[in-house]
Amino acid sequence: MNRNPADIGGETMGEMSGPIDTVDHGMKFWEKQANALRNTLTGSRVVRLDELRRAAEELGSRYYALAYFERTTEALRNLLLEKGVFTQDALERKMDEVRRRYDA
Amino acid sequence: MTPSAYAPAPQRRFNVGERVRVKQADPPGHRRTPAYVRGKEGAIERVCGAFPNPEELAYGFDGEPKRVLYRVRFHQHHVWPGYEGAPHDVIELEIYEHWLEAA
Repeated sequence: MNRNPADIGGETMGEMSGPIDTVDHGMKFWEKQANALRNTLTGSRVVRLDELRRAAEELGSRYYALAYFERTTEALRNLLLEKGVFTQDALERKMDEVRRRYDA
Repeated sequence: MTPSAYAPAPQRRFNVGERVRVKQADPPGHRRTPAYVRGKEGAIERVCGAFPNPEELAYGFDGEPKRVLYRVRFHQHHVWPGYEGAPHDVIELEIYEHWLEAA
């Protein structure tokens, strides 16, 4: 059977199981920005929460390798590329531009 | 516990107290019915209402027609092989009508 994050209940071994991390790690500045962007885009229905969940599942084993906000942000990026909101080229150009801004 | 019928869906197939079985199926796609209750039997605990279908919303469609969502109560010893807890322990999950059949 296909195993997805919704199937984690009852697992005793493997990448989906293990003790629950109950430590409050707080939110980094970029995580607050990423979360605000996600809320804005779901609020205006550019993307739906169900689409974000599906895009997160489609990360496959990366789902478990990434931290929470990395996972939701990568899912959001993939979804916006899928919907043609921006292209991979445009995204990379913008990332280069922002990188240069911080290096200055 | 008093069962609640919050936002009842008039066109529903099941009512509170009726026995249901979760479909034993493994279709591809975004499915929110956990693997560990597929094929298991439980009872309708409440009718949650009708909602846009998340399996369609997940791919950018409008989720229409809406699907009736139920809270289904399962006995833990039925869900988990070798369960060692109390015999009256239950687990309740919210499951859409198209995943349920009469038991």
